[in-house]
Amino acid sequence: MTPTWLQRRPPPPEPGTDPAPDPADPPATDAPDRDAPATDTADRNARDAPDRDPDDRDAPDGDAPDGDAPGEKGVPHGRLRKAVLAATAAVLVLGGCGFFYAAHQLRSQAPARNHALTDTEATTRVAGDVGDALARIFSYTPDGTAAAERSASTVLDGRAARQYETLFARVRDDLTEQRVTLSTRAVRTGVIELEGDRARLLVFLDQSSHRGDGNGNGKDKGKDEGDVEATTAAAQLTVTARLDDDRWRIVDIKAR
Amino acid sequence: MKRAVRLLHAGRLRPLPALALVLTLVAGGFAAWAGQDWYRAAHDEQAEYAAQRDAALSAGEQAVQNLNTLDHRELKRGLDLWESSTTGELHEQLASGRDEFTAQVKEAKTVSTARVLSGAVTELDDRAGRARVLVALRVTVEAADGAKSDKDSRMLGELTRTDGRWKLSALGQAPVGGTSTG
Repeated sequence: MTPTWLQRRPPPPEPGTDPAPDPADPPATDAPDRDAPATDTADRNARDAPDRDPDDRDAPDGDAPDGDAPGEKGVPHGRLRKAVLAATAAVLVLGGCGFFYAAHQLRSQAPARNHALTDTEATTRVAGDVGDALARIFSYTPDGTAAAERSASTVLDGRAARQYETLFARVRDDLTEQRVTLSTRAVRTGVIELEGDRARLLVFLDQSSHRGDGNGNGKDKGKDEGDVEATTAAAQLTVTARLDDDRWRIVDIKAR
Repeated sequence: MKRAVRLLHAGRLRPLPALALVLTLVAGGFAAWAGQDWYRAAHDEQAEYAAQRDAALSAGEQAVQNLNTLDHRELKRGLDLWESSTTGELHEQLASGRDEFTAQVKEAKTVSTARVLSGAVTELDDRAGRARVLVALRVTVEAADGAKSDKDSRMLGELTRTDGRWKLSALGQAPVGGTSTG
């Protein structure tokens, strides 16, 4: 096949040396482009043969084969290299995205976000603050409810503050009348959740109340007054706290 | 002339591989960064500790609930569950007192059902495999005559990790009016 082409073709390029190679060249580089996908088919030979002919036809022209041979081999190589490069880049980008996503997943998992116990300092601090706050707001003497209420205004906020006010408005008169002394202690405090500036805690409280029978020295927050009537009750609360100006304030209290 | 064309051609082709190379390198850099970021996240000790904490809490809550749940009609299943939820001394106590307890419950014909209201881990020693939990619990006891009564209790549990699982090794009520321990 080639020989016939060679025989038939040589004449035309020779007269038009300049214009001929120009149109001939782009097809030569283009041809492998189209050929690349069908490299290993029989088609290739059929289609390649005529395409290569202009190159072969260049052969008699002199230095053409020198320039063409590498061109012909080099271009598919370049293509291959480009394809490999593109594939590598795609794999790397995909892999990177995969890792990125996996890392994000790991970090945003609930256990990792909850810093209860993992951040020992913060955990101890919120437990201490909340325990103290509860002890203060739920401890009072018949004449000293104002102190408890003052503490409440500094350590309570939001719903908890409203709950406390409602509660106190209801019992304030009774407290004074019945000379009730209440002392509260946080026996155990466990941090359920600690995430940023919010925390949820489980607190076990002991509350002992004394009924003073109106003997007047309620301000002693007395152990010696009405001791016989002292009753201790256990309470379980879940408390939600918020870090505000570097201080934990209780925003919600639920009795359990 | 041909040379010129070819050179021109080459000149046109060059920037593309260069760009592709740069992009590939950038992609490689991104992949490497993301890879090591993921590695760090996956081998984060804090995250591992947090996972242990959550595992201990859920196992603790479940075990405390199990130990406060018993149906006299399904004693064997209930007591088997007790034994599988516990380890160490508590486990031995339960196992040795099983027969006696069976007789008592059969006699009383009670059905106890427990519900965990809230729970928290207070201590966790990841390496030693020990943890302490607080659990607020509501136990409903149905007597033989069908009368139901609710009782809230606050439990302190100690967990020990055995064969990769957290099990109760001690359980008791938080004392009321006792000494304070934060």
